[in-house]
Amino acid sequence: MARMKFLCDADRCIECNACVTACKNENEVPWGINRRRVVTINDGKPGERSISMACMHCTDAPCAAVCPVDCFYTTADAVVLHSKDLCIGCGYCFYACPFGAPQYPKVGNFGSRGKMDKCTYCSGGPEVDLSPVEFQKYGSNRLAEGKLPLCAEMCSTKSLLAGDGEIIAQIYKERVVKRGYGSGAWGWQTAYKETIAI
Amino acid sequence: MITVTKDVTRETTMSKTTSEPAVNRRSFFKALGAGATLAATPAMITPAAAVDPGKEESKARYRESEHVKDFYRVNRY
Repeated sequence: MARMKFLCDADRCIECNACVTACKNENEVPWGINRRRVVTINDGKPGERSISMACMHCTDAPCAAVCPVDCFYTTADAVVLHSKDLCIGCGYCFYACPFGAPQYPKVGNFGSRGKMDKCTYCSGGPEVDLSPVEFQKYGSNRLAEGKLPLCAEMCSTKSLLAGDGEIIAQIYKERVVKRGYGSGAWGWQTAYKETIAI
Repeated sequence: MITVTKDVTRETTMSKTTSEPAVNRRSFFKALGAGATLAATPAMITPAAAVDPGKEESKARYRESEHVKDFYRVNRY
């Protein structure tokens, strides 16, 4: 069974924010919420790196572990989704997530948080596939249409990869072999003890 | 010339002692609370269950369509 994953090739990301815009437009994400964000480190300095971040659809998702109403579930594709009908807006998942993926619309009065919103890997939610209710609550369901998340499909430099984890890992390996050096992404040096020499 | 007249009716009403009603406020709320407890009891004894989105909702939606194959192909460039 294919496991859906995102992989951002930090050597290719040019911080154009097209993935962020594509996500917001495709899913009609409300103001104040970014399901995807581009993070830049060492901005304007040598060794600057940008990486596109969203929900990483963890295997053992901490958001699901802390949810008091257990509204998270993992699909057979390994996509972590949640039910907005069950969510009580407590905010525990927001604090548990290391990527800042679950966010809350700040549209109500003080103390009212509404329902948590997060990246759905463009695969909707627990409602009927491709129904208007599903779109209104969770956004588009591109996976059901035989497509992949729009953020990855829109990436102009092919930095953001999405799809079957094994296939995109193979694509990334081929890139690294061709370049002759590893990624400048976070954790690379910790894992492989290599200096970034471009 | 302005003459000030007393509101006799009001005075009479205020000074009148009200008779004890058939159901006073405290016994009414006591009965209401007991009723609510009885009504809530079946819901309380229902075993707690985690969300089960069902097989239909959590089924695999990904398929390696021509569109997806094209995405993989162009990403190998």
